[in-house]
Amino acid sequence: MTLASLLQRADDLYRDLRFSAVRDWKQRTGGLAVGYMPVYVPREVLHAMGILPVGVMGAGDDLEIIRGDAFYQSYICHLPRSTIELGLNGALDCLDGLLFPATCDVIRNLSGMWMMQFPGKYVHYLDVPQDFAPEVGGAFYRHELEQIAGALGKRGGKPLTAAALRRSIAAYNENRALVDGLYELRQREPWKVPTAELYLLLRAGCVLPVEEHSAMLRDYTTAVRAADDRRPMDQARVLLAGSFCEQPPLGLIRTLERAGCYIVDDDFVQIHRWIRGPVRADGEDPLQDLANAYLFQGIPSAIRYIDQQVKGKDLVDRVQQSGAEGVIFCAPSFCDPALLDQPMAVTAVERAGIPWTAFKYAENTGQFQVIREQAGTFADSIKLWSE
Amino acid sequence: MSGPVRPLWCAGIDVGSSSIKVAILHDRGADGASLSSQVVERLRRRDPLAVVDSALDQALQQAGRRRDQLDYVATTGEGEKVEHRTGHFYGMTTHARGGLFLDPAVRAVVDIGALHARAVLMDDRAKVLGHRMTSQCASGSGQFLENICRYLGVTIDEIGPLSLQADKPETCSSICAVLAETDVINMVSRGITIPNILKGIHLSMAGRYLKLLTSANAQGAVLITGGLARDTGLHAAMVELAKEQKVPIDVRTHEESVLAGAIGAALWGAFRARKLMAKGLSLTGGTA
Repeated sequence: MTLASLLQRADDLYRDLRFSAVRDWKQRTGGLAVGYMPVYVPREVLHAMGILPVGVMGAGDDLEIIRGDAFYQSYICHLPRSTIELGLNGALDCLDGLLFPATCDVIRNLSGMWMMQFPGKYVHYLDVPQDFAPEVGGAFYRHELEQIAGALGKRGGKPLTAAALRRSIAAYNENRALVDGLYELRQREPWKVPTAELYLLLRAGCVLPVEEHSAMLRDYTTAVRAADDRRPMDQARVLLAGSFCEQPPLGLIRTLERAGCYIVDDDFVQIHRWIRGPVRADGEDPLQDLANAYLFQGIPSAIRYIDQQVKGKDLVDRVQQSGAEGVIFCAPSFCDPALLDQPMAVTAVERAGIPWTAFKYAENTGQFQVIREQAGTFADSIKLWSE
Repeated sequence: MSGPVRPLWCAGIDVGSSSIKVAILHDRGADGASLSSQVVERLRRRDPLAVVDSALDQALQQAGRRRDQLDYVATTGEGEKVEHRTGHFYGMTTHARGGLFLDPAVRAVVDIGALHARAVLMDDRAKVLGHRMTSQCASGSGQFLENICRYLGVTIDEIGPLSLQADKPETCSSICAVLAETDVINMVSRGITIPNILKGIHLSMAGRYLKLLTSANAQGAVLITGGLARDTGLHAAMVELAKEQKVPIDVRTHEESVLAGAIGAALWGAFRARKLMAKGLSLTGGTA
């Protein structure tokens, strides 16, 4: 597959709001497909039961919201509106269930609406621990995973066995390593891996089986490493923070890159990088290994308890590790987790002497002129006035 | 002990909505920089990227250089799509730098292009300190004047000299680019002469730009840059109105003002090239 055809495939998957790839997979395998909302769910459990995990990341800027707005007040973000719209227009009828991880109150609210609107579908609000002691949070989280496995088993999922779960953990470990490899390559040579392309690949991982997605990542990595027509430009290296739940429109990412920014780290489609490093894949009790990974390998995040005193430290560390020259706080409008943490993060980056700027978006933002000017002048100021 | 500073050759390309401006700059480090060649090419409905290519080649030919001898190709304006650029700088940044290069006394520029105008304040290093911009409406900008030209049957280059001949300027009730046609037709049917129509329009636009400058807290010497900098009638109207309204602004123009964005881009390109070289980095294979 050529680089162009691979990217075209990823772009087609991104724009397909009927989830044709999921429908095709179901027809081919007869298996269940279960969706998940941002930010993190342990896809390994679903995979081990022969279920296709499907990331539901909203409808971007391609869908007119007709009924979704009636469900939410004007001060609520856009993601749940487009998700409801996708549900009501039948786009998500290929999903046998939907998992709602504990990201914020709005997502919890959405899980309740989903139960009422789609009574035949499996709905689970995945409550996650904020106490990271294994005997407390670990036991609680394991119980949640067992509940999901039990319920999906009754709906046609294969029984969850330790051997299958180990294989699934290994498959996702490989996938995470490939994603991490691309992030590292982008940090070293950002001109080789434009973020708009990387983003499309991350989104492809939301609808493709993990094995197919890993093959796509491998092909892309090989192709861009060999692409000697991709030459470096004089752009400011920035870290984009805050886009972990509702995703920005692709046009916004392209705008930032064209405006003179190399995005060298970001929070996009964070499920692919939620767990740092490989999950133990050869343990006696792989379900416990998954729970332990959540407790001890989860990234610091606005949706995870972090002591006030150290909030923002991880962001500063990421800036240093990625070689970013500045931070762009790029959060969805009305995103409580992102925007409530932002003042602490800003304090931390200011204390570290890191330049920053901030703006907000919605997944259906269509005009980027103001953002373009802001990001462009920010890039200029870094290039001209930073040491 | 460091050796002599290597001279650099840099191109600045300003992609505007009605024309492409290219400046080739010879930067000699502490000995200063000079403009080696320049090209202004109207788009006339052609593909902007194709015009960029031909204008750059033309400017390089005049300067006696080749593309592979450039140390930095800097774009500005709508130049983000120019594939062979080394880097891109934003309009405010480049017009400030270009303005300071053309007239070291200025601490503000008013960039008047085809679609908008903006006032930019800067310090003595051309660091942008603040700005004010007109809305997205094309009112009172170059596009508006081009429309007027069509209605009056004059060329864009004739506007300035004609405006200077006015003896009784007619107040223009609207500077909306869309409604201008009606206004001008009314004036023509009432027997208003072309110079008086144009001067009235210039005064109306001048008032708008002076408001922009005062709202940005500009004072002292201000340089007009961008496509309308060549309009002698507009410059005269701004000087006249500033004096009449006792606005403490000395409105200036320069024969190369229209190239301020391209010149500024080339200068910042040279600055960046030296900064990158100091870090042991090079993005292009230019030679002195």
